Amino acid sequence: MIARERLGDIERLVLSRPERRNALTPAMFEDLAGHVERAGDARVLLLLGEGTVFCAGFDLDLCVGEAGDGNLRALLEGLSRCIAALRALPCPVVVGVQGAAIAGGCALLGGGDVVVAHPEAKLGYPVTRLGISPAVSAPFMGIAPGQARRLMLDPGLIDGHRAHAMGLVHELHDEPAARAMELAEELAAKPPHALAATKRWLNELSPANAGQGLDVSLSLVGSDESRRLLAAALQKK
Amino acid sequence: MTDLATLDIAGPIATLTMNRPEARNAMSLPLLDGLHARLDELPTTVHEGPHVLVLAGAGKSFCAGMDLKSVLGDEAAPPKLLHSIANLTTRLRNLPMVVVAKVNGAAIGGGCGLACACDIVLSHADAKLGFPEVDLGVCPAVVAPLLVRKIGAGRARAILLRGGLMTGTAAHEVGIADDLADTREGLDALCEAVAHRLAAGGASAIAATKQLLTELDGSGDAALAKRGADLSAAVLATPEARERLAAKFAG
Repeated sequence: MIARERLGDIERLVLSRPERRNALTPAMFEDLAGHVERAGDARVLLLLGEGTVFCAGFDLDLCVGEAGDGNLRALLEGLSRCIAALRALPCPVVVGVQGAAIAGGCALLGGGDVVVAHPEAKLGYPVTRLGISPAVSAPFMGIAPGQARRLMLDPGLIDGHRAHAMGLVHELHDEPAARAMELAEELAAKPPHALAATKRWLNELSPANAGQGLDVSLSLVGSDESRRLLAAALQKK
Repeated sequence: MTDLATLDIAGPIATLTMNRPEARNAMSLPLLDGLHARLDELPTTVHEGPHVLVLAGAGKSFCAGMDLKSVLGDEAAPPKLLHSIANLTTRLRNLPMVVVAKVNGAAIGGGCGLACACDIVLSHADAKLGFPEVDLGVCPAVVAPLLVRKIGAGRARAILLRGGLMTGTAAHEVGIADDLADTREGLDALCEAVAHRLAAGGASAIAATKQLLTELDGSGDAALAKRGADLSAAVLATPEARERLAAKFAG
């Protein structure tokens, strides 16, 4: 459910579960993290979503019932590992967001160095209403702390225009996937050592304590509140 | 040598000008020495010194960045240039007065970084700003902390890794330029209006506010600036950077 292709110096990874709006499973995170961690020799990593939605977030069907808590834990750990791996990759990461990027899908943007989105794409973290904390992605937020506060606490969604105005998205385009590919080709032609040194220095200037955010999100898994809200949300669906 | 940087003080407003227009005010060692010398002369006692310092470029450019062309082949020179620029940015950050960058034209690489070290950046729609360091195999390590403070970590990441240049209008949209005139001619009036507005403020209030802001964002940290200079110098010495630079200056 992660389509991987090496196009010259560009490692292209596509979330490919369009029939479920690319909803993320523990197995998908495992594959995604593995591909990212093995892409060290690429000049650019390009992350896209197949279909009309970039990513609807965690597959919540997996998060109820007997295996629910364990799956939710695995999803949070997988998400944290993936964002950290994207951040740690020496080469730049370009993300093309053609449609909705919700919750865990929005969190993946934190691993992107250059994010292109459709102006009408919907983004945000509607997860506190499920008793889930988006803290897992907080350490990787590149926007102003005051704006991150609102984005993560308010379950409402924002559109591409707003996301661009706050710096969550760096460029708006009507064809985000094609534009992201263009940007990837542009970056792949640049001197790799300078890019790697610059990315490493930027990482050092804004250190991300992935574990701290992950622990907060994990601490809520299995709570009565979380189980109740998740079950109620799925019943409504 | 001293006329490479000039300092004019008119009441509460001082203007420090980079004066090497034939080289687009590229920062050579003599130009940097001049800037440091003029800053030594600037009265910095609150209430006695000016409230506002305008940093400007003579001619059509603000500053084309570090003058690497003049030191091609001299391996000892780039670290000196980088440390002098890092030191300059820290000094501007630690001045008690408001520092305004008047970006009248090109502000490239270290020149754009110098603008970001100022408290307020004014420019015009057609000015060219940006950080093309990575295109040359160079790492913009001295300016990165300043850009991160100016526009946030996420945006700084996208801009520094993509390299290239942008118009004044784009720089305004992304937050590098705080205020924008429509034309180069209009920038004079804008800068004068902003400088006078700032000069009307209480010197102690300005100094206390600026000091707190600098403390909060850590941007007056000389050790961090120095590490940036060391890192940038190390990348400049790599074969990748040398080849790119040699090709650029040969062509």
